[in-house]
Amino acid sequence: MQCFGGTQRIYKQKTIKKMIETDIDLIEGLRKQSPKAQQQMLDRYGRDVFAQVVRLVPGIENAEEVYQDVFVKVFKYINRYDEGKSSLKTWISRIAYNEAISYLRHQRPTMVYIEDREGEADTISEAEVEETLGRANAETVQIIRAALKHLPPDERAIITMFYYEEMSLKEIAYVTESIPTTVASKLSRTRKKLCRIINMLRS
Amino acid sequence: MKEEQLNTLREQDKNLRDAIRMDEAELPQMPADLNARLMQRMAQEPRKARTRTIWPWIAAACVAGVMMIWLTPPKEQMPTVAMQTPSQQTPSPTLPLNGKEEVSAEVSKVEEPVVAKVEKKEVPQRTPRAKKVQDTQKTLTLQAADVCNDLAAVQEQEESTPLPSGEGQKGGAVVTLTEHDIPITRPENYKYTPEELALMRKQANEAYLKWVQLELEISKYNLEQTAQK
Repeated sequence: MQCFGGTQRIYKQKTIKKMIETDIDLIEGLRKQSPKAQQQMLDRYGRDVFAQVVRLVPGIENAEEVYQDVFVKVFKYINRYDEGKSSLKTWISRIAYNEAISYLRHQRPTMVYIEDREGEADTISEAEVEETLGRANAETVQIIRAALKHLPPDERAIITMFYYEEMSLKEIAYVTESIPTTVASKLSRTRKKLCRIINMLRS
Repeated sequence: MKEEQLNTLREQDKNLRDAIRMDEAELPQMPADLNARLMQRMAQEPRKARTRTIWPWIAAACVAGVMMIWLTPPKEQMPTVAMQTPSQQTPSPTLPLNGKEEVSAEVSKVEEPVVAKVEKKEVPQRTPRAKKVQDTQKTLTLQAADVCNDLAAVQEQEESTPLPSGEGQKGGAVVTLTEHDIPITRPENYKYTPEELALMRKQANEAYLKWVQLELEISKYNLEQTAQK
């Protein structure tokens, strides 16, 4: 299993390297405002960006609006992109995240989240969290899915970026305009919070 | 918590990963025409950008126009010689002798204002353009003096002979020559006088008689020659 995971990682690294090489041509085209390059970018990153936006913004029409705004900004400010700081995908993710969060702040859709203001999640032990989130159980998976819906958008975004997109702490920090240690502590707190919500749902 | 620990937890939290994966699979799919709509929107964007780039230039041109109007001195302050047309400033230097009257007629119109302007512009000017203007003024005054002399001669001549239009009756203070006064352009000079016509007729008759006499002499001579043969 470990060996399979290692091979998969090497393959992923190679794919990423290849993507970065082709990104250079794409960026050149985008800087020249080439419609062909723009179309190529939409084909390459459009689905990921839409998934990221629709994860945060409720309603497909709203998500479409935010999606368009994201790419308009990407095409407009492509000259500000710095290859040394991040990959193109991470840079686009950052714009998409900020655009979605900004939309949620301005539109204020009626969404109910559980906030842990009193720090009750901190009382839950790490062993308990590991058992809830780690032990394979179909019923628990369904409860976790329900619990995820009660998380605020920024926390849900961080969890998804870390667990689903397998982004590093540095990349998540770049996207959320934060620092890796803050992201790490946020992740840890969100795990405990999820466990508490699951306990609440179970009871 | 360190990154390695979190990476280990990522591997361990299988339930959480499965739950997120299921959620992701159930997310709404991206509409097929969304990218096409976006490209359409992008095609409309450059028009806005073009207007944005043009308006500073339009504003700059307006400002330049206003500055020009503001900085240009009013017509009253502009140098009078500079305002004259080149034909007025520099009359033709070489003129035929019989065209003196014409020149005098032309210059008499220009003479007075030019002399007045030369008197006005006594302020010293050091720029090359001003020097050039001064030189032109000097030549103009000299030419004007010459023209005055010619004019006096013409005036004397006209006083001795009666003028056809009766202009000499004004007292001789101001003599203004017109095109009518130039003999070559007088309409009456286009025709022969009766005396000239009579003379011409007389000469023609004499020439005819002489020609007839000559013809008679020739025919007589020819007859004599044939008689001798």
